Amino acid sequence: MAEDLVLDTAIRDWVLIPLSIVMVLIGVLRYFVSKLMRSTQVPDGKIVKEGQVIVRARNLRAAANFIPAKSFRARRAYFSNEENGLLHVPKGQAQNPQAQMFSDPNMAMDMMKKNLSMIIPQTLTFAWVNFFFSGFVAAKIPFPLTQRFRSMLQNGIDLSTVDVSYVSSRSWYFLNLFGLRGLFSLILGEDNATDDAQRMMQMSGFGFDPTKNLGAEKDGLDIVQHEWALPKFEQRAEAVLKKLVS
Amino acid sequence: MAVGHGDSSSSDKKSTDALNDLQTFNAENLQSNMKVIYYSRTFLSIIGGVIAGILGFKGLIGFVFYFLVMAITSAALTAKAKFSIHSYFDTWNRVLLDGFFGGLMSFVLFWTFAYDIVHIF
Repeated sequence: MAEDLVLDTAIRDWVLIPLSIVMVLIGVLRYFVSKLMRSTQVPDGKIVKEGQVIVRARNLRAAANFIPAKSFRARRAYFSNEENGLLHVPKGQAQNPQAQMFSDPNMAMDMMKKNLSMIIPQTLTFAWVNFFFSGFVAAKIPFPLTQRFRSMLQNGIDLSTVDVSYVSSRSWYFLNLFGLRGLFSLILGEDNATDDAQRMMQMSGFGFDPTKNLGAEKDGLDIVQHEWALPKFEQRAEAVLKKLVS
Repeated sequence: MAVGHGDSSSSDKKSTDALNDLQTFNAENLQSNMKVIYYSRTFLSIIGGVIAGILGFKGLIGFVFYFLVMAITSAALTAKAKFSIHSYFDTWNRVLLDGFFGGLMSFVLFWTFAYDIVHIF
């Protein structure tokens, strides 16, 4: 029961390696396709402007303690002034960008395209694996698992006495799916479209970005307690010099 | 201990500006350092997986080896930062724990792959 099965070398040559190579190539292909499709999007001037305003407000909030109190207050008033402050969005307008974003055909099409470009290769590859590579033991995973994983990992193999470590090619496919993400991030650089969780977060974050962030930035700016750091600089300089000298 | 704000000539960039209360970080450099950590961990988990497979580790020892590789990565990153972590990252946790389990799937994949190629087939 505990002896190792000896598996045919042909399985290694014609199942494991081709499957891995195919998945790597599909990932690379998907990366390039998504890059090509993305280049047709023209950024909306208004959204870019709002984004830049948010960045400025954020910088002001982060570095508030480096400028004297009066200049900080002047800058803050510039941003959050009730009539013409940059961050102040009247209630009526606040809903518009969001509604516009979801009904804008370009944006919806882009999101759908990205979704599809993720799902279709996975579905196709999974169907391919199931059709060709089912019904035999493909690999042995080096660590033992409990019996409950048997139905998940061994579903082409109908012997119930085979050790759970011997898995079918479907589980090799899933193992590849998760494990190659790290490899892709090394090969393709950061901007690769292969990580599902990251894409979900990106997509949900982008839709609500302009509208809620303005209000959030304004609130954050209003909260900031300004404490000018200059009076304390002498003590800090003294501490640094003491460390250097001693 | 030198302080630098926008120095981008070295691969490990400095990110803090001063000592105790006024911690300011150059966000771009901080993010770039995070990426370096991520890449190092991913790469080493792949290499560790291949090594574990070739050496024939089975079961728990393999996972222990994975944690060993991650610990070596943390030690190497700390040494590269010349032990002054606060010049390059905001907290200790970044260097030690960030991305610890991220390389696990890649490790298991390459471990299985190497183990099968060497021992089963």
